[in-house]
Amino acid sequence: MKTIILIFVVLMGLFLLYGTMDMPGWGDPNSPASTWVSPRYIEQALEKTETPNLVTAVLGDYRGYDTMGETTVIFTAAIACALLLRGATGNRRKEDE
Amino acid sequence: MLEFVISKYNFWVYVILMMIGLYAMLAKRNLVKKLIGMNIFQTAIILFYVSIGVKKGPVQVPIILTEHGHVVQAIRATDYLNPLPHVLMLTAIVVSIATTGVALAVLILIYRRYQTLNEDEILALRQQRRETGA
Repeated sequence: MKTIILIFVVLMGLFLLYGTMDMPGWGDPNSPASTWVSPRYIEQALEKTETPNLVTAVLGDYRGYDTMGETTVIFTAAIACALLLRGATGNRRKEDE
Repeated sequence: MLEFVISKYNFWVYVILMMIGLYAMLAKRNLVKKLIGMNIFQTAIILFYVSIGVKKGPVQVPIILTEHGHVVQAIRATDYLNPLPHVLMLTAIVVSIATTGVALAVLILIYRRYQTLNEDEILALRQQRRETGA
């Protein structure tokens, strides 16, 4: 079983290595990621959001709804942990099981 | 040839990290080790995205210098790193923390019920308990 998994993992790795052949080089200023959308954010973010830190501007202003959903994720995880671990510490009720 | 390796080796490192994580998730029998494998996998993805935002040359971190509310020098996109991968990976880090926390809580419950975290032993115990009706 472990050999099958190893072959599968190496195969996946080889596919991904083949995919990196088409990727732009590391730190290439003319890569598509740096030339299509992001210049607009860099040049207009200060004017539109009055926030010098661009990461904060995008996170809290352009993608504000996304961040709100993110807080929902964190809240749900906290509630799930609290419900799962209710009574897990301190008095262990082993007799009930 | 060497130039090609230098411009691509960061992706290869992330692919190797991803392979380590995937192997740990699939092949390991201990559930905590599976979880660690998932974290390694997520780290590989996060590093991959962050490396996309890198620009070589005289660039600054994506914080625009201002003095008294005015820009010090004209903003050119080539002077700053790409902020979008950083933002997306902030979100991904938050989600990974949430999944890791819930998974650890579930693992605590599994350990309390079966006194083991080995997958095979847990399955055997389940089968045994179902047959005895406990």
